[in-house]
This record gives sequence, structure tokens and C-alpha cells, in this order.
Amino acid sequence: MTANIIDRKERPAIDPKAFKGEIHPDWCPGCGDFGVLNCLQRALAELGIPQHEVAVISGIGCSSNLPGFINTYGMHTLHGRSLPNAQGFKLSHHDMTVVAVGGDGDGYGIGVGHLIHALRRNIDLTYIVMNNSIYGLTTGQTSPTSALGMKTKSTPFGNPEAPLNPLTLALGSGASFVARVFTGNPKQVVEIYKAAIMHKGFAMIDTFSPCVTFNKVNTAQFYKDNTYDLNAKGHDTSNLESAFTIAMKIPDGTEPIATGIFYQNERSCYEESEKETLSIPVVDHELGISQQRAKELKARFK
Amino acid sequence: MTNKNNVIVRIAGAAGDGIQSTGELLGKTCSRMGLHVLAYNSFQSAIRGGHVWLQMAIGPDKQYDHGEQPEVVLLFNKTSPAVHVPDVKQGGTIFYNAGSIKKEEIESLRSDVNCYGLDFKAMVDTAGLTNVNSVMINVMLAGAMVQTLNLDPKVTLEFIKHKFLKKGNEVVELNNAIFNLGFEWTKANTKPLDLKLKGDNNPKLFMSGNDAIGMGLVAGGLKFYAAYPMSPATGILHYVSTLAQSEKLIVKQVEDELAAINYVVGAGNAGVRAATGTAGGGFCLMVEGQGLAAMAEVPVVTVLVQRGGPSTGVPTKVEQADINLAMSGNGEFPKFVLAPKDLEDCFYQSARALNIAEKYQVPVILMSDFFLSEHFGTVDDLDFSKIKIERGKLMTSWNSSEKYKRYAYTEDGVSPRVRPGTPGAMHTVVSDEHNEYGHLMSDVEAGLPHAREARVKMHAKRMRKVQLMIENGDAKPPVLEGDANAKTTFVTWGSTYAYVKSAISLLEKEGTKANHLHFTDIYPIPRNETLALLKKCNRLISVEANMCNALCRQILTETGFEITEHINRWDGEPFTGEYIVKELKKKSIAEKQLVNA
Repeated sequence: MTANIIDRKERPAIDPKAFKGEIHPDWCPGCGDFGVLNCLQRALAELGIPQHEVAVISGIGCSSNLPGFINTYGMHTLHGRSLPNAQGFKLSHHDMTVVAVGGDGDGYGIGVGHLIHALRRNIDLTYIVMNNSIYGLTTGQTSPTSALGMKTKSTPFGNPEAPLNPLTLALGSGASFVARVFTGNPKQVVEIYKAAIMHKGFAMIDTFSPCVTFNKVNTAQFYKDNTYDLNAKGHDTSNLESAFTIAMKIPDGTEPIATGIFYQNERSCYEESEKETLSIPVVDHELGISQQRAKELKARFK
Repeated sequence: MTNKNNVIVRIAGAAGDGIQSTGELLGKTCSRMGLHVLAYNSFQSAIRGGHVWLQMAIGPDKQYDHGEQPEVVLLFNKTSPAVHVPDVKQGGTIFYNAGSIKKEEIESLRSDVNCYGLDFKAMVDTAGLTNVNSVMINVMLAGAMVQTLNLDPKVTLEFIKHKFLKKGNEVVELNNAIFNLGFEWTKANTKPLDLKLKGDNNPKLFMSGNDAIGMGLVAGGLKFYAAYPMSPATGILHYVSTLAQSEKLIVKQVEDELAAINYVVGAGNAGVRAATGTAGGGFCLMVEGQGLAAMAEVPVVTVLVQRGGPSTGVPTKVEQADINLAMSGNGEFPKFVLAPKDLEDCFYQSARALNIAEKYQVPVILMSDFFLSEHFGTVDDLDFSKIKIERGKLMTSWNSSEKYKRYAYTEDGVSPRVRPGTPGAMHTVVSDEHNEYGHLMSDVEAGLPHAREARVKMHAKRMRKVQLMIENGDAKPPVLEGDANAKTTFVTWGSTYAYVKSAISLLEKEGTKANHLHFTDIYPIPRNETLALLKKCNRLISVEANMCNALCRQILTETGFEITEHINRWDGEPFTGEYIVKELKKKSIAEKQLVNA
């Protein structure tokens, strides 16, 4: 039995082209999701994780088409259900690297209940939310992160609801790794995706991934003009309080928007509580009950 | 003296009085003596304060019916006499807690029964017992019951030792003493019953339907169980949780039923045998997940334990009205729907469900109901050696130079399934319509000629499995039991099997012959064989715990055959043999009146 259930091997980098899928993405030209795909491929390649050891698991939405465009194992599931599928998969085959992906509607709207519990449960996954503050696939309705007053097809007189803050939500739900990046800074994105994958536990990366077609407010230029790297400014990523303070600022451009790792703590991940069962991956367990065990199971009822 | 060899007993009190403990002591005593028991709990969705009772049939053979009129009754609390005394069989025996019930309260209701009050406090005080908790009256009444039923007290004392030993020897001694007080008092102060309960001395398993389902799943190779608590399915979660460490299972209570079904789809796709369980309301939230499993071709098993509906409905009562729900989902997709009929069947069908889910790469829904899941009964044995784990077309290597096609068109509709993690066979399973590789045909390509063709072929490939299930004999026709020439045939599914069996033997005693057509496979139903059986029967009467004849409508949909006579019950209580016989007679009288008019 390994001392640590989650074993991170140091491995030589591989060619990112190995992760290139056969299908060309059907995203709009200029979509931020291209950046996420490229950065994820580079992060996996630089960490040297072979394609067959990776599963990318999504929900539904433009961004949730991503598993079809990357040469790994994958699941393209139901709207809002990437995390339950990913957690079930991960616990069954815990030596694979599991990356859940999806949009802000998928993760912060219809699937937000699962997100909160995934954060506190701390199963060793990476969760990339491609946040464009709009519903793209359904042609432009308000999303949970759309700004107050934003005009969309479903809010032609302005969004009456205050936006959800994914970072404070994550920090308040017991997250062990919380980051925010913008696809316009690919170097930072690759580094943080790598850190997230290497993190032992649940890592959430809110990724500004602008929609070029339906969101004319949160554009690439907007983020380029307004973001800064908080890790370059000496932010202490182990300090939950200061992570909260920075995360509480509303990213509407009235003041600079922080990107980078907000918070990381190496608390024990869920898998550590199942050490015996996970001494080998559950998929490799022998199935069924021996005659001797059968006798013992039945004896409890006699 | 004729020495009757079977008996019906009832134990009643407030939730929290410990009637379950008395029931357990009595049930275990019988099952360890090799007697058969069937016990039905009537309870409410309350932890304390509700009025609850347990009725138990005991005899040398397999018991199919908890019966209507109890012959021996234990009454714990003040509400009990008014509810239960009218039901007691003429000449029956009542033991009551004299601390909360007055003799007159019983005698004012019935003069044709024998009643005995046990004054718990006075008896323990006289005996000089200390550290006594008032709830221990359940052990004293168990002593009275064991004596009056002429059971072996040594067996009960052995079980008390087994049950309380972890609490220390003093607790065992105290419980023994209280048991003996009840036993000896009854011996000295009551008339012996004309009863000889004789077991075969082979201890039986004494378990609930949910225990049997959980054990069947584990025997069938279950490795992953995710669920959200919901009566009456929670017992499965409880049972498999107790085995999580010893059998190395992942058992997860998750945030809701949406999570539960999607956890098991993720696990099933990873390559483990995975199941979830819920009641009707929870299954509503799992319907989209059933479609995902079918579309992505991931094997999963969902146990659907029915209770009174719709909505929150009647959580702790019996109903069989969820066939439409089990069949539901958007679009058309292959699945199995199975309904075990008794405790043994719960075990074997649960293991079978895991096999056929994997063989056909489909969702399987195993339907139970409140009675079947929550009742306790005896089982002679469960034969684990009968369970063969068959994993179908699962592969853990891919050595071909060709690119792996997860959804390859095959003659039988089932594609070879390479387990994720295998080098060289990377693919994505998808909820959208797709081609053989799992590439989406639903977005930018939708409607293009090649996508239309893929849609037609892939949909047909999946639906081909339904025919295959029938061709392979994995979807089984109903079974006709009893005299083939009987004038009346009862049609049943699920737990009503037992009551109809009991009704048939009651009718036989009166000289009326009836037989029994029982459906275990609710979908798919092999049409030709089923029709042949239905047409062979003279007069078909369905017996279902619902108002709208769910099974008959399913038979009509699947075979075109309409059953027009029905016996229904939907007050929440399970059928009994007597109830069915009474309903049958009412029908016959009504018919005669029609003819005479």
C-alpha cells in the first residue's frame, strides 16, 4: 500500500500535440475557450501526463464541448452534472488525472449545488470554469455572473439580479485551491492549471473566457485593461482572510481585477479517508464475494 | 388439543417504545429455532410519538402473509387498545403494559379474549432490580410472548447475550432478568395456548428486503453505491455502508439524487459496478441521468423503491404506481425494468441487474416497494455460488492499429467497451447524438446528410438492444404458477406475489381453484410468449397496490392484451390473502346480481 493515496510523479514533458483532438472546435473564432483548450493541453504536456491517464469531464454548453477536442478520455454529460460524474469517475479510478470543465451557467447556475459540496468534499480533481458571464449556446441570456443591469436577451431592461461571486463562494465552502485567470495571459493560465492539477484536492479555477458573440461588456479588451497578477504582488496564498478580502471586490472594472492563485491549503483530500479501499484503484478490484465471506455476511442475519 | 403449528402475533405501541426490539427478539428466536417468519411494520414518518405496530406470522413453512386477525397481541401504550383490540381473533390473547393501560379499557371493547396486564415497575421493584430503564418493558413483554408461544427461552437469552454483550455483562444480566420476569410470570398466571411451533432447527436468515437487495448487489460485484436518503430506499444505503470497509466498497451519501445518479454514471463509465437507490420522488430527479446512461451506453443500476405518491405522498406506506416513472425519460432508449417478488428474489434479481446492465451497457431499474423493502422475513439460504459475474464486452487493452470506436456499429447493437485508462483507445462518451467514435452529430453537423444517417443508425443500434434482450432470453416472460386449468388467474408483479399465493391457498381450502401469472420483468416484455400465456388463461384478474392498474397498462402497451378485471388497494396497507379473497367474492356476487337482473 502506498503511503499517499494520491501520488504525484515527476515526469518528463511530452509534446502538447499529443493532446490535439481530431475534431476542430466549433467555437466562434476568437472565443476564449480556444485559450483554455490550448493551455490545458500545454499544462498536461508539460506535466508529462500521458493522454490515456487523463479524463476530461464536462456538462453542457459551448465550453462543455471541450472533451471532444482533446485527445484524452472524456465524458460529455448533462447540463450542470460534470462534477458528480467527475467525482464518481475519480473515486473509481483515482490514479487517473480528472479535469472537470464547463461554463458559468453549468457550474454556477444549474450545477452550483454540486460545486459547493465538491469544494467541501475535496476529492482530488481540477475544475476549470470558463466564465463568460453570458449563456452563449442558447444565444445570449443572463448568467449567474452577469453584471447587475446588464442587458441580455432575457433581461432586455437590464439584469435585476446581483452577480454571484464564485471566488467567495468557493472560499466559504471550504475550498483547498481557488484561482482566477484570464485566457489573455496564457503563460499564467498554463502555470496555474499545472499548479491546480498538481494540487492534492479539489482545485477550482475561475477562468475569464470572453464570449465574442453575445457579451459586449466582458470582452477580452476589458479584461486586458483591468486585470493584474496578485501572485506577482506577493499575495500570501495561505492566508484565507486576505484571499477573501481580494475576492470580495466586484470585477466590474471600477478597480483592478486580481488574477492568480487566491488561496491554497494542503488539507487532506477525500481519498485519504478511503485509504484501505483505494490501496489499488477500485476498477482493478476483484469482483464478487468469496464463499467464506458469503458465509460471514449471512451469519450476521442469523 | 390439536396443537396448531402457526400463529399471527401483533406488537403495538408508540414510536420509541421499543416495539422493534421486541419484534427483533421474537423474530430472531423463531428464525434461530428454524421457524419461518414474515413481519410487517406499519409505521409513520415520525421518530417519536406516532403509533406503530408490527404484525408477524410464524410457522414451520415459508410465510406468505402477515394475515388480518392477530391471535396474540402485545399492547404498549394508551392508544393501543382502541386501535388493536377490535382486530384480535376470537379467543385470542392480549398482554398489555399495566403501567399505561387499564384492564377495563380492553374489557369494555371485547369480552371474548384473554387479557393479562404486566406491571413492569412493580415487578422489577419486587425483584430488586436496579438501573432499569422504562423502555426495557419490551424485553419483559418478549419474555411473556416467548412463554405463551411455547418458544425456546434459551434461544432468546442467547440472542440477548449476543445483542448486548458490547454494552457489558451487567446489561446482559439485567436484560436476562427482565426477560425471565416476563417469562415466569406468564408461566404462572396464564392459560397455555393450544400451540406447538416447531422449527427445523436450521437457523434462517432474518432480514429485510433492503438488506437482501444490498446483499445481492454486493454479491453481484457492486463496488460503488451513491445515494441520497429517502424512505423506503434508505435501508439499502444503511446496509451497504456497514460493508464499505470489509468489502472495500465506495459508499457515498451525496447532496441530492441528481448527484447520486451522475456519480454512478461516472463510476460506471470508469469501469466499476455502480448502483444507486431511491424512492419515486428521488427517481424523478434521476430521470435525465437514466437517459445519459443509455445514450453514453454506461451500465448503471437504480433501485426504485415505491411508496405512496405523487409528490411527497405517503412516505411510509405501500403503493405500486411507478411503472410509468421507471419507463420515463426524454426520447427513446433501451433499459431493463425488473421487480423482485420476495426476499430471495431481491437478492438474486439485484445481482442479475448488475450483470445485464453491463452485458447490454444500459440502465437497469430494479423496482421494489415499501412492503418488500421494509418488511422482515426469514430466508432458508441465499446461494452466492449461483451468482456468476459476467462483464459483457468490457476490455482492458486495445492493441489494434485502428482507431478505437466506442460506439462501433455491431450486429447485436452492443459495442466493445474499452475501460478508460487503457493506452491507445482514448475516447469521450457523450450525451449528444454521435457517430461511432463518439464525435458529436448534434451541433454544427446536425441535419447534414451524414449526420442524419448517423442519427438513424446510432439510434437503431441502441434500440436494437431491446430486441436482443428478448432474443437472448434475458428479458423473461411472466411465470404461470398453479393449476393450468384453473378458472381464475391472478396477475401480479412485485410484492403482491406473496399475498396472491396466500389467497390461492385460502381459496383452495374452500374448494375454489385459482392460479397465478406473475411478472418479474416489467420491460422489455417478450410479446409472443407473454401473449400465449395470457390467452391460455380463463379469467384474468390483476391484483395491484394502486388505483390505475399500472401493470395492466404496461401489458396492454407491450402486448396489446387488455386485462379488464382488477383488484386494487391504495389505502397504503399491504394486501393480505383474506383481503384478496373477500374482493374476489364481492366481484362474483356483483356478477351474479347482474346476471339475475
